Amino acid sequence: MATEQQSGETFSDTQRSGPYASAVNWMESLSETQFAYLLLTPALVLLGVIAVYPLVSTFSMSLFADRLTGTARLGEFVGLQNYVDLFTGARNYALPSQFLPTFTSEFPFVTNIYSSALAVTLIFTVFSVLFETLIGFGQALILDQDFRGRRWVRVAIIIPWAVPIVIQGMIWYLMFQPNIGFLVGTSENPALLNQLGLIGTTPLRNTADALFLIIVADVWKTSAFMALLILAGMQSIDRSLYDVAKVAGASRWQQFKLITFPLILPTVLVAMLFRTIDAMRVYGIIQTMAGCQTVPSLSCLVVTTFNTPLYGTSATVAFVTAGIIAVVVSVYIVNFASEGI
Amino acid sequence: MASETPGAGIGSDDPDTEQGPLGRWVDSAIKNPDRVYRAMFYVAMLFFLVTTLFPFYWLLVLALTPNNLIANMGLVPKGFNPEVFIAMFERVPFHLYMFNSFVLGITTTVLVLLIASLAGYVFGRLRFPGKGVLMLGILAISYFPPAAFLIPLFELFTGNTAISIGMVTISTPDLFNTPAPMVFPFSALFLPLSIFILTTFYGQIPDGLEDAARVEGTTRLGALFRVIVPLSAPGVATAGVLTFISVYNEFFFSFLMNNGEADSWAPIVAGILKYQGQFDTPYNLMAAASIVGVLPVAILVIIAQERIVSGLTAGALKE
Repeated sequence: MATEQQSGETFSDTQRSGPYASAVNWMESLSETQFAYLLLTPALVLLGVIAVYPLVSTFSMSLFADRLTGTARLGEFVGLQNYVDLFTGARNYALPSQFLPTFTSEFPFVTNIYSSALAVTLIFTVFSVLFETLIGFGQALILDQDFRGRRWVRVAIIIPWAVPIVIQGMIWYLMFQPNIGFLVGTSENPALLNQLGLIGTTPLRNTADALFLIIVADVWKTSAFMALLILAGMQSIDRSLYDVAKVAGASRWQQFKLITFPLILPTVLVAMLFRTIDAMRVYGIIQTMAGCQTVPSLSCLVVTTFNTPLYGTSATVAFVTAGIIAVVVSVYIVNFASEGI
Repeated sequence: MASETPGAGIGSDDPDTEQGPLGRWVDSAIKNPDRVYRAMFYVAMLFFLVTTLFPFYWLLVLALTPNNLIANMGLVPKGFNPEVFIAMFERVPFHLYMFNSFVLGITTTVLVLLIASLAGYVFGRLRFPGKGVLMLGILAISYFPPAAFLIPLFELFTGNTAISIGMVTISTPDLFNTPAPMVFPFSALFLPLSIFILTTFYGQIPDGLEDAARVEGTTRLGALFRVIVPLSAPGVATAGVLTFISVYNEFFFSFLMNNGEADSWAPIVAGILKYQGQFDTPYNLMAAASIVGVLPVAILVIIAQERIVSGLTAGALKE
């Protein structure tokens, strides 16, 4: 913080006297390394207090039992017991939704998928990232062309990305609330999507239907992000490659398969990584569209147990969520490294 | 879209048969496949335009229809009730929530730009040991979910965290229902993106310009704020616009770090959710508030789309 003050002073004051001069002289006398760390101090302090400290603190809280009585935040030290309980299902009695699905010996070996926070989060992540990539690809192909009004088409495609999450949730809530629109009706008077058999008549109260609609809402909002990244990849391709391909008689499909696709694949993978990390944290759209009781994601589980308050359990789920994201990130990074990208 | 190609095969089988307009079109399409691509292109573009813009149109339909008529709505409003845009402010002080959102967004943006400018200068222009590790560390922090920070930050900002310095133990001040519990988490959350954008931009300024300023007698920080930042104005604008939009759109901390009242600095998240009444559900007011809430970012996107596009791509594809 002191750095900013000094920067303000040197910025506004050219005459050098008293404390200004000594501060300036002191800063000028620093080595490059010292100066670098001085300028990084505000960023490191902010991230230290707001990110690193909470992360460490969350981990240490996860080693304590939930408080049972009294005013203390936490119970006694229990080591890794919270993690054991979470993964064996012994903690499910305290959770609004179980962490893992229930495993059985018969095909398909799992039941209660929709009441498991981990399964719901993974289903959401896989399908939303998959469809965002496909649709983003389509949008990028459109935006890569030259045509009149391209600027406005691009605005139209970007705008959903800029919509606040709470309004995104409100929009899709208003679209799928039974009986107000033409998409969802009542059981006596089924509307378009009910007749097609896609969703029931109270889709936002049924986990499978609500999860499907939340994925649709997320694809609507974030495909644009994928589109922009993929478009940037496409536009960095050397156009003369296409001229060569045309001379060699390659069809449009061959040009796409042999030039566009391999050259933008690294970009697409990076974009998918970003979206995966983001999708694993899903919370706001669930809270506004359907509620955490209907669609329990990992972040939902953290917040509900935090509110209960079961701090030990909540911290454990939070740290496991962070751990799963870290695993996903490292899988991607190892793949990148092995492909030499 | 797909049917055009198989259709083309049938149409061209027997050129002697009498052809309708479709057949002729198909014939010319085979001779000149570019036209098919062109047609497919327009169909796809129309599809994307309709799917991205329809939800906004739906909001307008619901907002303009009086609430008691909202049932089995078609594609046009049942009635025309522009007074809804006044009624929405009477039911919930939405203008105050929007004001709070703006204050939070601007404060965070200023803080992030200041801190990220210093850090971006260091990463973009200086060489020192530990640089790679620090950049990787900052990147890694941005991967963690906000949920992993929630409990300690909540305790910290509600005054329940005790700090011991030697013999003295002090409690953190209770800052709940002030802007602080939102501004600081937002800043930490969106700082990494701005650092990476500014690192790219600051790193591109030729060394000669900075050296010239230094020879003229400018201090190191003077060179940063008088030479490098002004020359990187597009980069600073990009980072600023993206930070503001991100804060305006944020849900997690906006929802959990205040009590939801307008005079406790709650942003639009709480404002929108407040329309859900205990005894009624005013769909038209919800839709109207959503339209009003989207307007600022929609305008920002229209004005600053070049900046947004370059910032998102530069920030994300940096590694």
